Amino acid sequence: MEIISLDNVSYSYKAYNDDGTVGECIGVEGVTLSVEEGAFVALVGHNGCGKSTLAKLLNGLLLPKSGTVRVCGLTTTDRDTLFELRKNVGMVFQNPDNQMVASIVEEDVAFGPENLGVPQPEIVQRVYEALSQVGMEQFAKSSPHRLSGGQKQRIAIAGALAIRPKVLVLDESTAMLDPLGRKEVLDVAHKLNAQGMTVVLITHFMEEVLDCSSVLVMNNGHLVAQGTPNEIFANRRLLDEVGLRAPRTVELADKLHSAGFNVDALERSAHILGGDVCQELTK
Amino acid sequence: MLRDVTFGQYYPGNSFVHRMDARIKLVLTLLFMVGIFFVQSFAVFGFVTVFLLAVIFISQVPLRSVLRSVKGIVVLLVLTAVLNVFFAKGATPAEQPLWSWWKIEIYANGLKQAAKIFLRLVYLVIGSSVLTLTTTPVDLTHAVESLLKPLRVIKFPVHEFALIMSLTLSFIPSLIEETDRIIRAQKARGADFDTGGLIKRAKAFVPILIPLLVGGFRRAEELANAMNSRCYEGATKRTCMRVMKLGWRDYVAAFVTVAFFAGIFVLYAMRGSWGGVTWLYF
Ligand SMILES: Nc1ncnc2c1ncn2[C@@H]1O[C@H](COP(=O)(O)OP(=O)(O)OP(=O)(O)O)[C@@H](O)[C@H]1O
Ligand SMILES: [Mg+2]
Repeated sequence: MEIISLDNVSYSYKAYNDDGTVGECIGVEGVTLSVEEGAFVALVGHNGCGKSTLAKLLNGLLLPKSGTVRVCGLTTTDRDTLFELRKNVGMVFQNPDNQMVASIVEEDVAFGPENLGVPQPEIVQRVYEALSQVGMEQFAKSSPHRLSGGQKQRIAIAGALAIRPKVLVLDESTAMLDPLGRKEVLDVAHKLNAQGMTVVLITHFMEEVLDCSSVLVMNNGHLVAQGTPNEIFANRRLLDEVGLRAPRTVELADKLHSAGFNVDALERSAHILGGDVCQELTK
Repeated sequence: MLRDVTFGQYYPGNSFVHRMDARIKLVLTLLFMVGIFFVQSFAVFGFVTVFLLAVIFISQVPLRSVLRSVKGIVVLLVLTAVLNVFFAKGATPAEQPLWSWWKIEIYANGLKQAAKIFLRLVYLVIGSSVLTLTTTPVDLTHAVESLLKPLRVIKFPVHEFALIMSLTLSFIPSLIEETDRIIRAQKARGADFDTGGLIKRAKAFVPILIPLLVGGFRRAEELANAMNSRCYEGATKRTCMRVMKLGWRDYVAAFVTVAFFAGIFVLYAMRGSWGGVTWLYF
């Protein structure tokens, strides 16, 4: 079943030029896409190509200038159902510090359910469930500022989860983290996906993309490609065009393949690929 | 290093006072502050001192931490007291000044009044710091929100007010961190904050304030997006995770404090009617 569908969506920002005139700056243009329920989708593209704009269109933080955005059957432009829609879309941004509303972890996570008007005993239950989903229960009473970046970002995810969304959008939520913190956050995302959550992961790290079920590639506000990671990474021309680079493992497998080794990057998913390369090399 | 400013004065603990409901503590502190002004004699100040020391003892906060708050403003307090010495007149027109020079006269009464004002101010500061030492800023915010709730009737935005307090609290640490970072960044570019006159130094802070302000707006936008994403729609139908419930501690503390200050109010109201026992009144 399709959970997110965008139909010919465009959005442009006001651009204030130096000469005092107001022009338009394209955020996204003519984007049509659909995401199946339970998918793990990566959204990639170089800086300023419109990924964050697209993310903000998904929960009505921005409303499309033309076209429609539907999530869980609700349209973002419908003012009456916007609240309902936001309940279904959890969103986590890049900088964890700027997403914290309370100075105690527990209360920060409770912010969403409190807004929903959930009764008090259920709030507590939701908060602890969300914290245990991200493995942070033991920090419930501490101050977010004493936590590491990865831990803070997991708290931010818990804050989104406490609303019990169907879709989780992570907008470069791993960008400020070290490899360990990144792994923490990604592991949580994959675990949630295994439990049925639809995840949209916006990222600049191509290694993260390998584990996704499909990839959306954006360039200058347009959606230029959509496919499985292997399809995308096999398409050299596309990658060069949008200025992306396949992960090292894929590049290595390609090189080995053209050197006559028996590895096929296209056919195999990421994990197997790594194993394959090793097998071939150790032969 | 700057991080510790965040939690203000809070002295972590698990004492009777720490475990009291923040609302009760806030109300009793206010009662204490008002009550102090009805204390007339040094003898009653003695009772108040004993009361205050008992509270501090029960709270298990070291006396030194409590007095630290007084240390900061001691100059101000002494100045106020000294001015009072000069401006006070005799208790009765017949009272002769202890010392006079030109137009300045010092009366015994003036000294007494000054000492009392000094004591009152010191006790005010101590009383409020016992509150902030034993209550986290978060609890205080909740207490303020809960106590101001009746003001909703006159359309006072209680929830928004509390939310602003709470957001401020959670943003102080990151703002401090950012200030720290900007200062270091500007120093690395050759900015000089430590030499020169007052004006030069003040000017040196402009390159700190501007990035801080710009950063603040960016932060505010991101925060607004994060809050909207988490279904924030203002106070309507909002619930609260924190339940505030009064326990036996609150009843005991409220009873003792109210009884104590009731006594002080009675003494004040009856001043002058018990001819003999002047030590209670002067
Ligand atoms: N608030 C804004 N006002 C004006 N223009 C904006 C605003 N936000 C984004 N833009 C412009 O819209 C375009 C798309 O920006 P967007 O933030 O969606 O890119 P992005 O893909 O998320 O980039 P990044 O990888 O750097 O996060 C950019 O050209 C940007 O300059
Ligand atoms: Mg972005």
